[in-house]
Amino acid sequence: MIDVPSFAELNLEVALPGIFLALFTTVLLIVDLFIPKDRKITTAHLTIGALVVAFVLNLPAFNAGETAMNEMFIADAFAGFVNMIVITGAIITVLLSVDYMKRSGIEHGEFYSLLLFSVSGIMFMGSANDLIVVFIALELLSIPLYVMAALRHDDVKSEESGIKYFILGAFASAFFVYGAALIYGATGTTNLPEIFRAIAGADGIVATENSAMIYLVIGAAMVIVALGFKVAAVPFHMWTPDVYEGAPTPVTAFMSVGAKAGGFAGLLRVMIIGLPLLVVNFGDAVETMAIGETITVPSAWQTALWLIAAATMIFGNFIAISQTNVKRMLAYSSIAHAGYILMAVAAVGTVQITKVAENDYTMVAVYAESALNGALVYLLAYTFTNLGAFAVVMSLENNDGSGTMLDDFNGLSKRHPLTAAMMAFFMLSLIGVPTTAGFIGKFLIFDAAIQAGLIPLTIIGVLTSAVSAYYYVRIIVNMYLKDAAVTDEAVGLTPYVNYATIVAFAGTLIFGLFPMLALDLLASSGAQIATLLF
Amino acid sequence: MTFGDFTPEAFAFGFFTILTLGGAFGVVGSRNLVRSAVWLMVSLFGIAGFFVLLSAPFLAAVQVLVYIGAIGILITFAIMLTRSMTNLKERFNKQWWLAALAALTAFLLLMVTVIVPTWGEMGAEEIPPTVASTAQLGEAFFSGWGYVLPLEVASLLLTAAMIGAIVIAREDD
Amino acid sequence: MECRDIINTFAPCLSDTLGVSTDLANFLSITLGVLIVATFPLLVTILLIWVERKFAARVQDRIGPNRVGPFGLFQPFADVIKLLGKEDITPAGADKWIYNASPVVMVMAVLLIWAVIPLTPVHVGVDLEIGALYFVAVASIGTLSVIMAGWASNNKYALLGSFRVVAQLISYEVPLALALLVPVMLAGSMSMVGIVEAQTGMWFVFMVPVSAFLFFISSQAETGRAPFDLLEAESELVAGFNIEYSGMKFAMFFAGEFMHVFTNGVLMAVLFTGGYIGPFVDQIPLLGLVYLLAKASIWYLLSLLMRNALPRVRIDQLMLFNWLFLVPVSIINLILVAFLMFVIRELGLQPDDPRDFVQNIPQTVVLLLGNVALLIGTLTVIRNRFRAERLAEQSTMLPAQAGD
Repeated sequence: MIDVPSFAELNLEVALPGIFLALFTTVLLIVDLFIPKDRKITTAHLTIGALVVAFVLNLPAFNAGETAMNEMFIADAFAGFVNMIVITGAIITVLLSVDYMKRSGIEHGEFYSLLLFSVSGIMFMGSANDLIVVFIALELLSIPLYVMAALRHDDVKSEESGIKYFILGAFASAFFVYGAALIYGATGTTNLPEIFRAIAGADGIVATENSAMIYLVIGAAMVIVALGFKVAAVPFHMWTPDVYEGAPTPVTAFMSVGAKAGGFAGLLRVMIIGLPLLVVNFGDAVETMAIGETITVPSAWQTALWLIAAATMIFGNFIAISQTNVKRMLAYSSIAHAGYILMAVAAVGTVQITKVAENDYTMVAVYAESALNGALVYLLAYTFTNLGAFAVVMSLENNDGSGTMLDDFNGLSKRHPLTAAMMAFFMLSLIGVPTTAGFIGKFLIFDAAIQAGLIPLTIIGVLTSAVSAYYYVRIIVNMYLKDAAVTDEAVGLTPYVNYATIVAFAGTLIFGLFPMLALDLLASSGAQIATLLF
Repeated sequence: MTFGDFTPEAFAFGFFTILTLGGAFGVVGSRNLVRSAVWLMVSLFGIAGFFVLLSAPFLAAVQVLVYIGAIGILITFAIMLTRSMTNLKERFNKQWWLAALAALTAFLLLMVTVIVPTWGEMGAEEIPPTVASTAQLGEAFFSGWGYVLPLEVASLLLTAAMIGAIVIAREDD
Repeated sequence: MECRDIINTFAPCLSDTLGVSTDLANFLSITLGVLIVATFPLLVTILLIWVERKFAARVQDRIGPNRVGPFGLFQPFADVIKLLGKEDITPAGADKWIYNASPVVMVMAVLLIWAVIPLTPVHVGVDLEIGALYFVAVASIGTLSVIMAGWASNNKYALLGSFRVVAQLISYEVPLALALLVPVMLAGSMSMVGIVEAQTGMWFVFMVPVSAFLFFISSQAETGRAPFDLLEAESELVAGFNIEYSGMKFAMFFAGEFMHVFTNGVLMAVLFTGGYIGPFVDQIPLLGLVYLLAKASIWYLLSLLMRNALPRVRIDQLMLFNWLFLVPVSIINLILVAFLMFVIRELGLQPDDPRDFVQNIPQTVVLLLGNVALLIGTLTVIRNRFRAERLAEQSTMLPAQAGD
């Protein structure tokens, strides 16, 4: 009667990391009930264990390149890489949370479940092959974050941060649904490769006079707005500083890397797989082309992303200069870093059109691969570096949330030389100094942008990087050259936080010195994307 | 269905239109929040009627169950618990005309979209008129050839939301 | 077309004999059907009031109404005349519109249920494919009426009462819907007719008595009557959400309540005891109505007995009973029945002809055994829990004697 596919046909094993984590989370919710209140560290250990298992399960995904569950899910190197980033980020976040939650008096076993829910949301986002999945994964990654931001009940700032994030996030979700509906209306499908094929058309080129184009453009714009909110791109960044400041610091740390990775995973999936060839205005160039000739034209959304990226980099970096609270400064710097990654997304939008024969064209998003590599490596580098920076900030933070001002870093090198050294390294990585992972990420992104012909954007990127050096170096100066005004011990400098800092430091250093480790993993990714599309 | 003939469908369509639009006007027109909430439920009930007319009875029942039985009650509850809000005699929103303008613009845009047939042929297919049976819905949701992944992820999402609500609402012991 | 069965062929008859256009005839026929379906339960209610009062009187060792008409049968009419003569009060500060709309919504919510109830094999208001879901949906509208009445009365007891009721109604909707899913699963259909037809061979109450019990209890709570009558706990809330209502509006709330109780009996009959199914129904369809009402009356009397015999529970007990007993049991029950149905299918125990009584016995036995196991398991858990509590209580009392 009903055609039920067999288990083998469902191809569930390629989705194993996500499924495992989701199932484990629901089990953890129940297990946690039987763990006494003073031994919640067991929950944290279980969480880390599950994340490690998910990490291992994720390794085969790099070479799978298969779809599962009615084409809704795809396991490729891109998904594998996003999973790797977010799992690593989550492990560091758990390490950061253990003591912080306890000393802030907000230790709940559910915190870890919520974190894992969010992580599995990001993992599904990385593997989403359908607009519906992108949307639901977006919600699954966001809703636990809203709650986690408001976890500190007695603090008005935390509550404000939760409600602000929630309301604006709900607004952004509505944008996404509207955009997805328009894209569906114009193409008749929600499946990303199908959308791609619907746009590419039968003869390999989009008919510009096609009236559905306007809906595709509006839909794409709305998707960019929604995901731009998640990654905190200007002008959708308003929530970021307040939310980052009010939320408990480990949550902020996770938000700045996890939600960002999720948002970019969604953006890259939709833009690279679904809409790369959305070209509205060919001009007369196409008509006058000779057979065999090749021209490059910008995708309809490239200019928009160009502007957003430029605004984000400029705004984020310049406002960060004036911040005196390091947590807030990192929030603005996180906005700025979103700008650099957006630059990579914009680079995808350069489309090459070749006239093969009369009325037969091919359209290729030629720079998708290098842009994708840049964005992913940048995300990886940023995850390690930023979580490391947050770990250090947290170790100086007092139980009431104070202690994160710039002055509190004065003389840190004398009090805690190792921590100060690592902090200095993180700051250098955030600037993008060679031998750090941050450098590799920036290098790849600038390279992709130049290839794609986005020269002015690259110049803006380089200049704002230089600007960013000012406020990052200021922390180093405070740590090494100024004398300490306060002498009290850093309460947060516990073993777990130290582990977290060391893991982050190791990641930043290793991927800075041996970038090929990441690039080799990705080498298959670009090829897979290419075979998928063309 | 043509509007010239008097068919039960036409009658029902008119009735539900009045319910939906009248309810919506009631929502924005009432100064009393509880009344707005009740009007909202009237409007949502009308939408359930449209689902019936569109041969989607399952959605209609879910609409009533979820939007009136759950969300409507929740909204009313929330309003009643903030009693000072229920007896406002003044307009508390000074920007109402901005909202009206925005709504009007959106309305005009939608009208243009609907009246001017601009949806292209790209991928557009004629959808055969069918009554979506509950069995078909179940098949679409639960068989591996359908939307099983979004469904399962959505159930995770609801679990997460519920846990989150409890975590936020409960008092620390 | 011949005009033999006037009820089912009303529309064609009308257009044939009177020359009315087909659309109008259809419309008229639907309208008439609606009127009949809506009036029937209201008429039954008048009788029910008498039954209820007589029954309560007997339980309390009284005689009950016996003055107006034979056996006091016309007492409800006298009541109605009295209520009509009462002053129609709208309290100052009340929200007039919502205040007046509330009793209507209350009666409407109950009447809407009747639309999907199959009265006989050929007479059913509308055989919705999603009948069961429809029932849950419209039942939730009743909650709305309570909250409207409570708020619009501008009375703090009314508001408090309505808060209680809403909490109660929303909570008990959960086990109600979960228990309802079991007959739906067994019948493989959400249509009420489908559910009744599936019971031709065997009533569901013999297959899944636990579900019937859960549905009965939670539907009793949905009506808000003793032992779940917290909404009008006279000793605590004066009269609950309808405190300010008088005259016919008050009567409508009560009519709604009486009707709801009987409707629950009808639903029990439809969902668990085979609805209109009985001997010779195939030949004489109207006999189905008699069977249905007879079965419904038995469930109805059972709920009356419950009302009169049991004391009211406290609000915290009410919530605990629901969330710690009914909801978990109904969830386990649902999973259990689904599992047993899987076992039955794998073992090939399902009947070749579902309408045959004997062929239904193997699967009934399996399901029944599962239900008994569930019952024993639940009772054991409860016994252990209360024993532990009792022991803990005793041990807290003891130290005084031990010379603490």
